[in-house]
Amino acid sequence: MIDRIFAAALFLLALGYGCVALTLHAPFQYDPLGPETWPRLLALALAVASVAMARRPDSDPDWHGATAIRSLLTIGSALLAYAILFEPLGFILSTALFCTLTARYLGADWLRSALFGVGMGVGGYALCAWILALNVPAGLLPL
Amino acid sequence: MLETLHMLADGFSVAMTPMNLGLVLFGCFAGTLIGALPGIGPINGVAILLPIAYSLRFPPESALILLAGIYYGAEYGGRISSILLNVPGDAGAVMTTMDGNPLAKQGQAGRALSLSAVASFFGGTLAVVLMTLFGPLLARFAISFGPAEYVALMVFAFATLSSLVGRNSTKTIIGALLGLMIASVGVDANTGVNRFTFGIPDLFSGIDFLVVVIGLFGIAELLALVEGMATDTLVVRAIDKTFVSWKDLIAVRWTLVRSSLIGFIVGVLPGTGASVASAVSYGTEKRLAGASGTFGQGDIRGLAAPESANNASAGGAMVPMLTLGIPGSGTTAILLGALLMFNVQPGPMLFSQHPEIAWGLIASMYIGNIALLVINLPLVGLFARMLTIPHKYLIPVIAVLTFIGTYSVVGNSFDLFMMLGLGVFGWFLRKLDFSLAPVILGVVLGGLFEDNLRRALSMSGGDWTILFESVSSLALYAIAIAVLFLPLLMSRRQKRQASDLGEE
Repeated sequence: MIDRIFAAALFLLALGYGCVALTLHAPFQYDPLGPETWPRLLALALAVASVAMARRPDSDPDWHGATAIRSLLTIGSALLAYAILFEPLGFILSTALFCTLTARYLGADWLRSALFGVGMGVGGYALCAWILALNVPAGLLPL
Repeated sequence: MLETLHMLADGFSVAMTPMNLGLVLFGCFAGTLIGALPGIGPINGVAILLPIAYSLRFPPESALILLAGIYYGAEYGGRISSILLNVPGDAGAVMTTMDGNPLAKQGQAGRALSLSAVASFFGGTLAVVLMTLFGPLLARFAISFGPAEYVALMVFAFATLSSLVGRNSTKTIIGALLGLMIASVGVDANTGVNRFTFGIPDLFSGIDFLVVVIGLFGIAELLALVEGMATDTLVVRAIDKTFVSWKDLIAVRWTLVRSSLIGFIVGVLPGTGASVASAVSYGTEKRLAGASGTFGQGDIRGLAAPESANNASAGGAMVPMLTLGIPGSGTTAILLGALLMFNVQPGPMLFSQHPEIAWGLIASMYIGNIALLVINLPLVGLFARMLTIPHKYLIPVIAVLTFIGTYSVVGNSFDLFMMLGLGVFGWFLRKLDFSLAPVILGVVLGGLFEDNLRRALSMSGGDWTILFESVSSLALYAIAIAVLFLPLLMSRRQKRQASDLGEE
């Protein structure tokens, strides 16, 4: 069933993508195909393939029940929060927060989670920013 | 021949510089660790570490040597969790569980691990030797390819992909199309027209290859691990004192040769990597052994076959990547993307224009395979300890690595959100039994495919028959059609045989 729904979504994607491709037009064009032909071909191919998928769907996957879905949603939101806070808070604070909370949620006790989180934040920053000279945000801390 | 040896010697002088030698060893070591972690395979390891290698501003050959080391190192490491845990360390090690885990259950884990290390070494080394011999030949042949032949080559690549990868070929094609669509976002280089950017400035330069790779192979993998935590319970078998004997090696010698050759050839085919190679070689050995085999209950041939094949396929997959610019597997698609990030265009000219990259990589693979054999025999206990790293710490560590990777290269938050979005999408695709390798192949090849098509049609003034003019392209289309319909015919014949048996 989910296969049919996803195939329908893909068909809509092909339609939308195709419609945008129809509006493409280059003011000056040196090659006979221009920027619009390739996307149109792709839209057509995806439309055909999505119909083929809807005609012969696979059986539904195993969603592993409510516990798995709940932990996916929790970790998903944690990742989203981490992405939102990454730049404003900076690497050390956001990473310490994210690692402590996810390790705690996934089954470590509070003390270990906190040690792990702070270690990842401080150690990660030291390794990335000072030793490897990578671009990681300093954020609130005056570093 | 003499010229090849000469070039190889030059390659060794690149690979033997202290920095590159260090990177080979580090890559092999890290790769084995990553491969040993259940679920995290070569493709995830390379995806997560690529941006870091890029931001460290290594020269391209050094970065490639490091990433390739992680790639084939992980093919070695994958066997460890297959044997001790009965959970494949990566997709290429699925078949290793069939006979490897029964051996461990019989108290012969040490023998299984050491035998498979030797098998991996044999497959990996034979593949590098074949690569040394045939790589330059293929490059010389491909140098005459024009845009029309390249279009044919792409069609061929996607045809083998759809018939060999995954269980549902429609889904493989859809995956590849989604990848091609992702590649079409951004400003069209020929005309300057914005395509599918919807006025968002972050999209003008296209969706960053790295963001796609980390999303699909870092975040999606992480979500799969979270999901697995809620359901799996695992038993780690201890390593014992048993060890591989000469008798074992002599018993599997032809298995090693056959499986390595199969692995290399499957690896060379575009898009098909370790998982197909090990499945084909395991099936072949099982059929050849017939009644004499105890496959599935701890037959050493059943262990040697997939391990030599998956390592040989890693070498095989590098051949089309270096010589044609068409990746031979999902992981080499990422390596290809990495070369493009360094402004190096892989293809037939690579051997002549950047010999230090092509030959340096090949030479480093000789060194890497020896190093892997040496570190895998005595240190297997250390790697086995990786299996006991609790996921409650591993999952946040992977998340942090993906964030560092994306941010250090792209440097803005927009791409972090894009990475997460692509990760959720990738997880959903996997859930529906899509394989993600075709998507990344589509992303990497999209620009090349369109460029060559447009160039070919510019040459002909819009006449599509130019695509079917040269002998090389016609031959490629013919093989593509054969590859597409062969499995169909075979399964129909098998069905007929099965129904014949039923009537008797």
